[in-house]
Amino acid sequence: MTTPTTLSGRALLLLLKLRAVLMLLILLAIFSALSPTFFTANNLSILAKHVSISALLATGMTLVVLTGGIDLSVGSIAGLSGIVAGLLINGLTLGGSTHYPPIPVVILAALLTGALAGAANGLLIARFSVAPFITTLGMLYIARGTALLLSNGHTFPNLAGSQAHHNTGFPALGQSFLLGIPTPVWIALIIAAIAALVAARTPFGRHIYAVGGNERAARLAGIHIARVKLLTYILSGLCAALVGLIIASQLESAHPATGESFELNAIAAVVLGGTSLMGGRGSIGGSLIGALVIGVLADGLVMLGVSEFWQIVIKGVVIVLAVTVDQLQSRVQFRFLNALFRPKQEAAQ
Amino acid sequence: MKYTQPSTNLGAPCLDSETWARKLAPRLTRLLLTLTACHRAPQLPLIAIIVPSQDNPYFKAEAEAAAARALQLGYRVRIDAHNDDAYRQDNLIDAAIASNAAALILDNAGTDASISTVRRATQAGIAVFLIDREISAHGIAKAQIISDNDQGARLAAQAFAQALNNHGDYAELIGRESDANAQIRTHGFHAILDASPQLKLVAAQSANWSQSEAFQKTETMLQAHPSISGIIAGNDTMALGAAAAVKGANRPDIRITGFDGSNDAINAINSGELTATVLQPAAFISQLAVDQADLYLHTHTTGKPELQIIPCDLVDKSNAAHYKDFAKLP
Repeated sequence: MTTPTTLSGRALLLLLKLRAVLMLLILLAIFSALSPTFFTANNLSILAKHVSISALLATGMTLVVLTGGIDLSVGSIAGLSGIVAGLLINGLTLGGSTHYPPIPVVILAALLTGALAGAANGLLIARFSVAPFITTLGMLYIARGTALLLSNGHTFPNLAGSQAHHNTGFPALGQSFLLGIPTPVWIALIIAAIAALVAARTPFGRHIYAVGGNERAARLAGIHIARVKLLTYILSGLCAALVGLIIASQLESAHPATGESFELNAIAAVVLGGTSLMGGRGSIGGSLIGALVIGVLADGLVMLGVSEFWQIVIKGVVIVLAVTVDQLQSRVQFRFLNALFRPKQEAAQ
Repeated sequence: MKYTQPSTNLGAPCLDSETWARKLAPRLTRLLLTLTACHRAPQLPLIAIIVPSQDNPYFKAEAEAAAARALQLGYRVRIDAHNDDAYRQDNLIDAAIASNAAALILDNAGTDASISTVRRATQAGIAVFLIDREISAHGIAKAQIISDNDQGARLAAQAFAQALNNHGDYAELIGRESDANAQIRTHGFHAILDASPQLKLVAAQSANWSQSEAFQKTETMLQAHPSISGIIAGNDTMALGAAAAVKGANRPDIRITGFDGSNDAINAINSGELTATVLQPAAFISQLAVDQADLYLHTHTTGKPELQIIPCDLVDKSNAAHYKDFAKLP
C-alpha cells in the first residue's frame, strides 16, 4: 500500500521541483502558439540577449542570497559602471590635458568600480554586522547619486569612440556576435557556468551554503564567515558592473538613471528559481531558469501587444504563484520524507 | 557657577593655547564675516525653481534657463527636483514657503495632484508660475506657460507620415502612460496618422520615456512585426533607444521620429538615424516665466492671460543647424 503513495508522492515532488522549468515550457508553448514569429532563431537570439542582463544580475544575487543576504544596489551599480565607462571614453581631463584610455582600461575601471561598491557593501555587512538590506539600500542611493554627480545629470553620448583617440570598439561588447550568438549571452553563460561550478564544487561554494544554512554552525566549523560574505558581495558588484557595461555598449550612450529597479528583476529571478531568501538553499541554474521565465514573459507579452499595465500585473502574479508553489514543495517534501521514514521507525520499535 | 581658573604652573600648554588663539583669531573673524555676509544675502529675493528631474536633458535645460535668467535679473535661485512625486513636490514647496521665496517656477508633478500645493504656495504669498505642464484649476497660479503638445504631436505625425509616403506598417513608443503629456502626444499622433488609411499601426508599447526600455521593446517588436517601416516615439530618449535597436537589426530603411528636440536627437537627425523631432522651446518658456515673475513682483500684474500656449517647432535635416539647447539660435 505504501508503494503507490510514495510513487505518486515522488512524481508530485519531481513536478514541483521542476516547476520553474515547467512554467518556462508552458510560457514558450503559449507564446509560440499565439505569435508566429516568437519561436524563430532570430527572436530567440534577441530574447537570450535580453535575458542575459537579468541572468547576470541574478547570478551575483544568488550567491549573496545563498549566504542569507540581499543586494539591493545592483541596479545602481550597473548605472554607475556605465557612467564610469562613458566618462572615460569621452575623455578624462586631468591637470589641463584630456586623456582617452584604451577600451580594456575603460572596462577594467568600470568593473573595478562595481567591485569596490560590492566590497564596501561586504565590509559593512561582514565586519560591522549592518543588516544587508540596509547596507545595500544605502549603496543603492550612494551609487545612483555618484552616477548623477559624475555625469552632472547628462547622458554621455557617442560611446563608439574615435579613431583619433584609439578608443573605438566599445560597442562590440554588447552588439557583436560569436558563432551566431550575441556576445552578452556568451558572457552571461560563462559567468553563470563558473559561478555554478564554484558554488557546487569548491570549498568556497560549500562555505556559501554553510553560512546561509546555519551561520553559527558554520562559524563553529571554522569557516571564515566575514571573508565568504565579503567575496559574495564583491562578485555581485562585478556582475552588476558587467551589466552596466553591456547596456552602455548596446545603446552607445550612458545614462545615469540606467538600471533603475533592475534589482527587483534579479531578486524575482532568484526567487522564481527556487532559492530561499533565508539562505542556504538554491542554485545558480535555478536562477537562470527564473531569469528566462521573466524574460520570456516580458518579451512575449510585448510581441502580443499586451498593454504595459497588464504586463506588470502578470509579472506580479507569476512571482507570487512561484513562491506559493515553493511553500507547497517544502510541505510535500516534509510529508514525503515522513512517509518514507515512519515504517522504518516503527520496525525499529 | 564660576569656572575655576587653570593653574598657572602649566606654562607650556598655556603658551600653546595662546598661539592657537592667535592663529585662530583671524580665521574666526573671517568666518564670522562670511556668516554675516551669508545672513545678509537673503535680502536678495529668492526664486525657487522646481522641475521633475535633473537627469533628463529637457528638464535640466528648463531649470538652467530659468536659473540663468533669474540670476541675471538679480535674484537668488534654488533648483530642486520632485521626481514626479506629488508628495515630494509638496515638501519642496513647504521649504520654499519657509525660506520666504518671492516667486516659484514650477514644472508640476501632476495635473490634479498639484492643485492644493500650488494653492498653498499662493496663499503664503508666493507668486507661482507654472511651466511645461498645466494644472486643471485656474485663477491660482499667476501664469501657466506651456508648449503646445497637441500641435507638436501633429507636426511630428505629419513629418512621420510624409517620411513613410503615407503608407506602410508602423509602431508607436508611448511615454509613461500615467503622464498627461504622453496621452496628449499619442492622441495628437493619431489625429493625423489615422486619417491615412494605408498607414497601419501594428504595435504600440509604453517604454516609460526610457532609452534602454525602448531599445529592448523595439527589438522585440521588430521580431513580431518585420514589416514595420517606421517608429513614432513620444520623446527623444525613446526614439534614440529605437534607433539603436534598428541599427542592431540592420534596418536602415526604418524611419523614426522623436519629440522634445534634445541635442542628442538633433545630432542623430544630422547623422540620419532619426528623421525628425519636435522642439519644445523649454528654454524660452523658462525665460518667459522668469521675466513675467519679475514684472509681477514689481507691478503686481503680468499683463498676459494666465494660460499661454507656445507652439513647438519641427526639426528635421533641413533646419537642424538652427536649434540647440531647446531653443532656436538667434
